[in-house]
Amino acid sequence: MPSPVRPIHHRFHQAHLAFLILLCVFVACSRPQPRAVDAGRRSFTDGLGRTVAVAPDPQRIISLAPNITEALFALGLGDRVVGVTTYCDFPAEARAKEKIGDTIHPDLEHLVALKPDLVVISTASQLENLTRRLDELKIPVYVTDPRTVEGVVASIRNLGEVTGATGRAAQITTEMEQRINEVRRRAEGLPKPRVFYVLQTGPLITAGRDTFINDLINLAGGRSISAEETAAYPQFSRETAVARAPEVIIAPESHGSELVSEADLRREFATTPAVRQNRLVRINPDLVDRPGPRIVEGLEQLARALHPELTERKAIN
Amino acid sequence: MRTAEVTKQGTNEALATAARTYLTRRRAVVVIAALGGTLACASVAALALGSESIPLKEIFAGLWAKLVGASSPLSGEQAVIIFSLRLPRIALALGVGAALAIAGAAFQALLRNPLADPYILGVSSGAALGSIIGVMLAGQVLIARPLLGFAGAAAATLLVYRLGRREDDPARLLLAGVVVTTFLSSVIVLLTAVADNVKLRNITLWLLGDLSSGSTEGLAFIGVAVAVGAGVLVLQARALNLMMIGERDAFALGVETARVRWIVFFTASLLTGAAVSGGGAIGYIGLVVPHLVRLAAGGDNRLVIPASALAGALLVLIADTTARTILAPRELPTGAITALIGAPVFVYLLVKGR
Repeated sequence: MPSPVRPIHHRFHQAHLAFLILLCVFVACSRPQPRAVDAGRRSFTDGLGRTVAVAPDPQRIISLAPNITEALFALGLGDRVVGVTTYCDFPAEARAKEKIGDTIHPDLEHLVALKPDLVVISTASQLENLTRRLDELKIPVYVTDPRTVEGVVASIRNLGEVTGATGRAAQITTEMEQRINEVRRRAEGLPKPRVFYVLQTGPLITAGRDTFINDLINLAGGRSISAEETAAYPQFSRETAVARAPEVIIAPESHGSELVSEADLRREFATTPAVRQNRLVRINPDLVDRPGPRIVEGLEQLARALHPELTERKAIN
Repeated sequence: MRTAEVTKQGTNEALATAARTYLTRRRAVVVIAALGGTLACASVAALALGSESIPLKEIFAGLWAKLVGASSPLSGEQAVIIFSLRLPRIALALGVGAALAIAGAAFQALLRNPLADPYILGVSSGAALGSIIGVMLAGQVLIARPLLGFAGAAAATLLVYRLGRREDDPARLLLAGVVVTTFLSSVIVLLTAVADNVKLRNITLWLLGDLSSGSTEGLAFIGVAVAVGAGVLVLQARALNLMMIGERDAFALGVETARVRWIVFFTASLLTGAAVSGGGAIGYIGLVVPHLVRLAAGGDNRLVIPASALAGALLVLIADTTARTILAPRELPTGAITALIGAPVFVYLLVKGR
């Protein structure tokens, strides 16, 4: 269709082209040659398979996830942490650190102004764009991507290597592994109770197959009634939840306002063995949601909730 | 066939023409009986369908036992599934569907605009915002949610009407609706972003329409709203028929147009507020259902309003039963299914109206 719009299109293309050429020139000029400083750096492969060059013993570390902050403090690197997110509330010292924003919207300018020599990101925060920006700014970004409880242990060990805290990392991770193995050993051979993990009730949301909570339930010697769900946090049928007769119901502890009310759970799931035998368990969500060092604590609490008989026997011994 | 010649004309005119077609008692009885029968069958089917299979025979035996007070053949879990989960949810779906469809029929007649619908006009957004404020300010007071939902719906209706009122330009009203919807949606987004209330963080799921977590109080409120709303609007149906020809003509024929307008606005807002606070912002029911009814049964509002109530209840029931069974035990938001059906119908009406 002939139309007077065409010449404008042409001009558009030309403008585009000119812009692209300029951009290429600009990028070519601004890309620095490998500097001498880089020679002292050590290369690591992070959780996403990226190669990251980090100066030995980074001194100004920024954490962009609460689980990373917990890991850094556990590694004894609290003094070197110069920035955290508003969600980083553990340990108590972390609250006093400079805040970069929340995990979803970090303040890039503030981050750059703090002159970090290492930024650590967790894939749970979904910061692909930020990672790319920081790469462009030549700020070393290390991404952790644990998918399982064992992956968490490995990620802490790797973080220790990147930050030069290898000895402390070996100590923590060995202890974590021992505690995980102890839970696993004790649950071995025991009947696996049916577990229902309730994230919220309006609508009813639970945890699917590929979540930490599902992994934790398996390790603790239970079986989630939603273990076959492929979605991470699916909206779940109330009648299936009732029909699968969970023996233990686990809900996150409330932080102030309640996401799941205990009265609601008791009323809605009154016929289930979990409610009849009073096995409604509240758990601190930070212990099971955050892929950090405290996940072992979450695992032990879950194991006690699923197999109270073990703790009792231990007490008699 | 009468409907065939109607569809050939402009939709706006079609409404008026259809309204003038003579409504026989026989046609009214046939339409209502057919819809009522289908609805009853669909309700039984919905009661029998679910992520857990319970034989229909046992369900009936259980219902009978409950009625006469005999011991139930259903197990404890089965009784909970039927009486505490499926029945209330079916009732909520019926109530929400009926309320939205009647509200849509009323808005279309009153505004003389075939594309009017509580969702498109921003009335649902007003109700959603009101409900959310109700949860924030008085989470414990259960009646606060539907009442503020009604207030929000009424405020949004007034705003859209004032902005979009123009006799000769039906598109203006829709534009006003779009603007108000966008504005209210951003207010909702801002509220949920700054709110400490954890319940509000997952409000998006509820906004897509969620019939799975209705309360007994919400159910009661919507039941009353549908009964009262349908009654009031049927009483105004004759006046609405005349007003569809033109407000001036209706006034000349002795209709108190101002009074009728306020009654219909108020009632449609009440219905939308009850539906949204009970089941979230389920879209397009108010648009699609009255049109289907008019195509099948003519445009007389004395029949369109009650028939829309039944057909709306039927459509939401089918959508919700689909939402909870198609990927069972996973559930889908009911509003996504109704929008899937409704949006193409909207486009069709928009294109045809040109």
